[in-house]
Amino acid sequence: MNAVFGFIFIVSLIALCVISPADFLPAMLDGAEKSLTTAATLFCVYALWMGLGNVAEKCSLTKGATKLLKPLSGKLFKTDNPEALEGITLNLSCNLLGIGGAATPYAVRAVNALEKDKNEFAQKLLFIINATSIQILPTTVIALRAAAGSAAASDIFAPSLICTAFSTVFAAGIYILGCRAWRR
Amino acid sequence: MAAIIPVIFLVVFIVAAVRKVKIYDEFSAGIKEAGRFTLSLVPCLAAIFMMCELFEVSTLSDKLTQFLKPAFSALGIPPELTKLVLIKPFSGNGSLAYLTEIINEYGADSYISRCACVLYGSSETVFYISAVYFASLKRKNLAVPILIVLISTFLTTVIACLICKIL
Repeated sequence: MNAVFGFIFIVSLIALCVISPADFLPAMLDGAEKSLTTAATLFCVYALWMGLGNVAEKCSLTKGATKLLKPLSGKLFKTDNPEALEGITLNLSCNLLGIGGAATPYAVRAVNALEKDKNEFAQKLLFIINATSIQILPTTVIALRAAAGSAAASDIFAPSLICTAFSTVFAAGIYILGCRAWRR
Repeated sequence: MAAIIPVIFLVVFIVAAVRKVKIYDEFSAGIKEAGRFTLSLVPCLAAIFMMCELFEVSTLSDKLTQFLKPAFSALGIPPELTKLVLIKPFSGNGSLAYLTEIINEYGADSYISRCACVLYGSSETVFYISAVYFASLKRKNLAVPILIVLISTFLTTVIACLICKIL
């Protein structure tokens, strides 16, 4: 991240100095302002889902779901840390339901819990699965198309499903196989 | 379909009431955590958005788009989508704005729009996710995972354009 950030920043700065140095300050302040408006939107989504999540946790609904998925997720992520497993389960369920915004806090919780076990493999696998998107229902896109007057707004459902499944299976597969080959 | 989310809430709240959980207290406790979590994201967001703005106003993003167009067309990706493919890993808002633009310009049912929708729906903001997930950790050796994700996202883009031609 540091390398990417530094590279893009420096190259853009050089170009900007040549073309229009006056645009620098407005652009930077604009970016900072956008971070706050985005944070406000994110807070609304998180408030809703983390509020619900906390209620579900207190009546041990999430424990049930975690237990149900444990044979699968435990083996895949090679962990039996209950806090991490719960985070992973909730993260994956939110993703599959298409509420991606709600998935992030649980992933972060799982990543932090896994840090205590030094389980780098599971952290990175969770990152890969999330970063390749595992949405089953592309709700935002369907809503956008319907609003633009599409005749069949949800006809992108099948192609999206194929693509999102492919990208996740491909990336996770390569990572898992790569880790195995590395160890041998 | 729209009923799924309210029903989830209903089920959780009923179970909570039956099991005598203090619903209001726990709901607000969750929101409190949401506040803390959102605040912890702001520094990452600010830095990344500044970088994106800078990249945009320096016209480098346009130049890169122009430069990559021929290569993308050769792989079957319509040149109109080059910018969307480039923006998506960095910015969810930026790519959503651009997706809206594409849909308005080419019509919701055109091949271009359908491709754009599929690749928007099947990919994620990779750099943003990597920054947020690993913000609190000290050692972050993420080069390999990020590379794997980017390669797979790009392959998926090629496949998406192909599938949209058939389906």
